[in-house]
Amino acid sequence: MSFVLRRIGFFVVTLWAAVTLNFFIPRLMPGNPAQAMMARYKGHINPQAIHALEIAFGVNNHQSLLSSYFTYLGNIFRGRLGVSLTFFPDAVTHDVKQALPWTLLLVGVTTILAFVLGTFIGLLAAWKRGGWLDGALPPIFVITSAFPYFFLALLAIWLFAIKLGWLPQSGGYDITDNVSWTWGFAGDALKHAVLPAMTILITSIGAWILTMRNNTISVLAEDYVRMARAKGLGPWRVMWTYAGRNAILPNLTGFAMSLGFVVSGAILVEYVFNYPGVGWMFLQSVENQDYALMQGLFLMIVVTVLTAILAADAATAILDPRTRDTR
Amino acid sequence: MSASSVGATDQLATPPVGPAPVVAEIKHGRWGDLWRAISRNKKALIGVLLLLLFVVLAIFPGQIAPYNPSAEIFTPALGPSRAHWLGTTSYGQDIYSQVIWGTRLSLVIALAVGGIATVLAVLVGVSAGYLGGATDGVLSLVTDVILVLPIFPLIIVIAAYEKNAGLLTLVVVLGVLGWSYGARQLRSQTLSLRRRDFLESALVRGERKSYIILHEILPTMTSLIVATFLGAAIYAVLTAAGLQFIGLGDPNSQSWGTMLYWAENNEALNAGMPLWAIAPGVCIALLGAAFALLNYAFDEISSPALRVRKLDRRKIPASLPQRESPTSGGEPPYWPPPSAGKPSPGSAAVPMGEGTVLKVEDLTVAYAADGGPVVAVDHVDLELARGEFLAIVGESGCGKSTLLYSIARLLGSPLPGEILGGSILFQGRNLVLLEEKELRAVRWRDLSVVMQSAMNALNPVLTVREQMRDACRAHSNMSNKEIEARSREVLRLVSIDPVHLRSYPHQLSGGMRQRAMIAMALLFTPDLVIMDEPTSALDVVAQRSLMVQIKELQEQLGFAVIFVTHDMSLVSHFSDRLLVMYAGQVAELSNTRDLFDRPLHPYSQGLLAAFPSVHGPKVQLLGIPGSPPDLAKPPAGCRFAPRCPRVEARCIAAPVPLYNVNGSVVRCVHHEDGR
Repeated sequence: MSFVLRRIGFFVVTLWAAVTLNFFIPRLMPGNPAQAMMARYKGHINPQAIHALEIAFGVNNHQSLLSSYFTYLGNIFRGRLGVSLTFFPDAVTHDVKQALPWTLLLVGVTTILAFVLGTFIGLLAAWKRGGWLDGALPPIFVITSAFPYFFLALLAIWLFAIKLGWLPQSGGYDITDNVSWTWGFAGDALKHAVLPAMTILITSIGAWILTMRNNTISVLAEDYVRMARAKGLGPWRVMWTYAGRNAILPNLTGFAMSLGFVVSGAILVEYVFNYPGVGWMFLQSVENQDYALMQGLFLMIVVTVLTAILAADAATAILDPRTRDTR
Repeated sequence: MSASSVGATDQLATPPVGPAPVVAEIKHGRWGDLWRAISRNKKALIGVLLLLLFVVLAIFPGQIAPYNPSAEIFTPALGPSRAHWLGTTSYGQDIYSQVIWGTRLSLVIALAVGGIATVLAVLVGVSAGYLGGATDGVLSLVTDVILVLPIFPLIIVIAAYEKNAGLLTLVVVLGVLGWSYGARQLRSQTLSLRRRDFLESALVRGERKSYIILHEILPTMTSLIVATFLGAAIYAVLTAAGLQFIGLGDPNSQSWGTMLYWAENNEALNAGMPLWAIAPGVCIALLGAAFALLNYAFDEISSPALRVRKLDRRKIPASLPQRESPTSGGEPPYWPPPSAGKPSPGSAAVPMGEGTVLKVEDLTVAYAADGGPVVAVDHVDLELARGEFLAIVGESGCGKSTLLYSIARLLGSPLPGEILGGSILFQGRNLVLLEEKELRAVRWRDLSVVMQSAMNALNPVLTVREQMRDACRAHSNMSNKEIEARSREVLRLVSIDPVHLRSYPHQLSGGMRQRAMIAMALLFTPDLVIMDEPTSALDVVAQRSLMVQIKELQEQLGFAVIFVTHDMSLVSHFSDRLLVMYAGQVAELSNTRDLFDRPLHPYSQGLLAAFPSVHGPKVQLLGIPGSPPDLAKPPAGCRFAPRCPRVEARCIAAPVPLYNVNGSVVRCVHHEDGR
């Protein structure tokens, strides 16, 4: 089986695990919250909404657990995630679609930026081993990489929004503005994105720098790097094509594994900044006990993370010829 | 889980072989050693001190905090004062007391989650790695799935259903979901340990699986287990604080996250009580930093490659050359230029005899070790004629490779030596004095290198064609067509079908890789090819045919060869002269035939007796008892004396010089009369 096929298979298995967890968690919790919630809503909202909730949770008293599980799987497969209570009568999918672009732009761009910048800085630090960069970076980034995202977000708001008044304190755009495709709106959205983006960048870049630095140090001890020197290649060629190309491979695997951490940080950052993305909406739904929306968003997060991991796998397949050959 | 990945990065990068020296260091190390290592590492020391501080606060909050943390008895929203160091909350509570009382819960969560996650990681990782087969398949899949599932949102989902999750739920959920990263690392290390000798021997002894896991595997993985614990602790501190901050913890509990929750709900930052939010936040950051610093420092302590060692010149024995401006090779992969006494282009040019291609004089190389400098090459002289084949033999650790890579000026990780003195004359220039930039002009065109294992010496992500091309590009203005033609030509020289130009190294067999590397070394038909055990990774038949081919190419193209091997019989028919090295010194240098017919040095005699002769009469093979001396503390007299069958009192008394005996040189007092 080829590397890519194997990874796609893994993608499917993981997605199935997430969906299954989503189905069973509300049933296995003490007091069966799904049933309790259905009971609470009966009579307060119209039968249509009740039916939508039933879909979201696969709760149906006439069905066995197993058959309602399969009904649920079928609904998920067709993209039917039920109806949001917070934004009633919006379908959950509709709400997710609204929040997703904000998160993809904010978290997606900053994560890729942090990865690229961090990888490059880490490579340089290891290359100039014992230099000032190499001496100063590890202690600083060991600390920032264990720094609580939400606390940095609070500090940023306090300093740059409250004390200095340079940047807006919360939201994704000025609420007096209408969401539109104009330059004015884009500039406003950008201004609102600066603080959350910097927060995510600063807390996530340290891990990339440190892993890349350590990977490069091990790769620099490899024979092929010595061979490249023996061949009299220029320093840039040795650094990029021999050290960097090989050191980045484990970092790509690391990217996939660290993504969950970045996402959890991003959720909190969106929450602190009231940024209208998936993370903020997710915590809103938790607060409002809007379980259908919450579960839909959870699935959305899982799919996004898995897609990013597949992208990292694809990059690995491109950069490492060994993965392309069937084993 | 970026925070935990910080600690385990080297495992990510290390090939599955595992860091062998680390294992030995930790396994046989005592706790005293560990403590000494920690106290020497600044990051570790800060981490330990911070952690101790928090432990004290967590145990004795009642004694340290001035007030009851939840009592709403003071004026609300006070700024910092002598009575309230950090001011008061908008409920009239003392912030300083709250911070101190909050330590306990945060620390308990960190330690408990770290413990649960580590136990699970060890159980799953070690069983998967050790048992293998279907068990491994299932456990690895579960590990990978949990690893990529976004844990934090999942915990939020669970916490949302169970409102105000208690301490126990929080710890159990965090622990149960936080083990996967460590399990993955532990599994791959167990896999590599399984192939180690000491496990094989335990199996042969008939030990039970449980005994092997508990007594053989776990102790060797101490460093990884500690890293797993610290990684899980960081993740617990941050995740728990995050959950409490968004109100999913018990809002009445005393913790830093809960303080932040109340501060945020009361808009403490806007309302002029920033310390309400900043103080607990700083504490969370400090606790996270303490674990992260420890994690990183532990990584540094257990993998020596991550530390930079500097050669301490004050500790160099007085007998050695004390050069002011040596080239230093400790910082890979390019050295800083010699700081003082910068050579003018003229001073590097040295006249040399017509027939001589290389002349090494008085070369001394040392590398830094914990106990001080170790001299690996000690005042070595040698001269090489054009087209000559010189073999260097000796046991491992005799300085053969260090000598070789010093001549090629390729010292640096993983052979981090420094040339302390002497000269290497090649093409009328002293290589020791050349800077990297000047060296590049000499490399490959005139002096190329063939390494021990082509598997590791060829860049795994480039095709053979690309690796040939970049060498050509670096030294010539050849067009793509010319490069292609030349690449095909050299591949044919070593009997490889040129279609393999588009192959990646892993697609070639071991023998083909080695040939491809030799082909690459001949791209410019250099004057000197340096070969470091190029056949040692091959089977006997392939070894033999490669040797024949090297010899043929050498006769055909006329380059000189320095060939390092520990197998004397391999070179007996191919080399013109033999240099026997022992403990960093020349023991004997003779014509190959002379040395085989009449070895002078007792060490040469021992080496010869250790290998079967192909044609000679059947004789009992004798090894040399003992092993080479520790180069950090070489014997005062003859270095071979402790193992020598002919040792006398005068051997031990003073260092032995080299004696000339009928055109050979030998370092042995038994030949001081020149016979």
